[in-house]
Amino acid sequence: MPASDIPVPQDPADALAAVVALRRLADQLEDASVERAMRAGWSWPQVAEALGVTRQAVHRKHAKRLIAAGVTLRRRSP
Amino acid sequence: MRMFDRYLHTVITEGAVQAQRHGSATVEAHHLLLAVAAQEGTAPQRVLASAGLDHGAVRAALDREFDHSLSTVGVSLPSLGLPLPGTALERPPSMGATGRLALDRGFASAPRKKDLRPAHVLLGILRAEVGTVPRALALAGVDRTDLLARVQTVIENGDLG
Repeated sequence: MPASDIPVPQDPADALAAVVALRRLADQLEDASVERAMRAGWSWPQVAEALGVTRQAVHRKHAKRLIAAGVTLRRRSP
Repeated sequence: MRMFDRYLHTVITEGAVQAQRHGSATVEAHHLLLAVAAQEGTAPQRVLASAGLDHGAVRAALDREFDHSLSTVGVSLPSLGLPLPGTALERPPSMGATGRLALDRGFASAPRKKDLRPAHVLLGILRAEVGTVPRALALAGVDRTDLLARVQTVIENGDLG
């Protein structure tokens, strides 16, 4: 979608708050989606590539949380 | 430890718990507001409750602000059915920009450091004119200016709790 087609709210306060809310939503969606993928047996390199980030980045951000959540993490890709 | 320092420590610690619960890597002003609203038996908590803002009401107001802000760009949450993220982050949340601003405003509103009271923390949070907290209060129908005046009265009356 070209930037000109993004519905920018008229009120700057609404527009800026929407940015904050979308960032928070994206963070929550990332947490939930990575957890779902790992529970489904995806490997770190697969999740990283699908997210478009490095393996180290995704591991650093999510490993501790997933281990705490009791997710069995795969060591290697198939 | 002084009463104020103990209170501040509790609010920051509880704010970090709230941030973690939201999957946020930083403690923001609205997390501090939730923490203030959770401190039963303290003057700031009583002021919030007197305006209809118990802990549940603050949470509801913040949720509503989140939904409302997303709706202005055509995103609706219930359709996504997002599960709550796990709570353990890689490292404990650090103080975020709006959290820091709220604390600084609170500290700056006392003439001397030794005059700081728990209510100054709430004062600092409520002084923000833009951002998540004032938007959430407005959506909940809370008059922020009136609430600020109430907090100021509590401070002037020397309510220590």
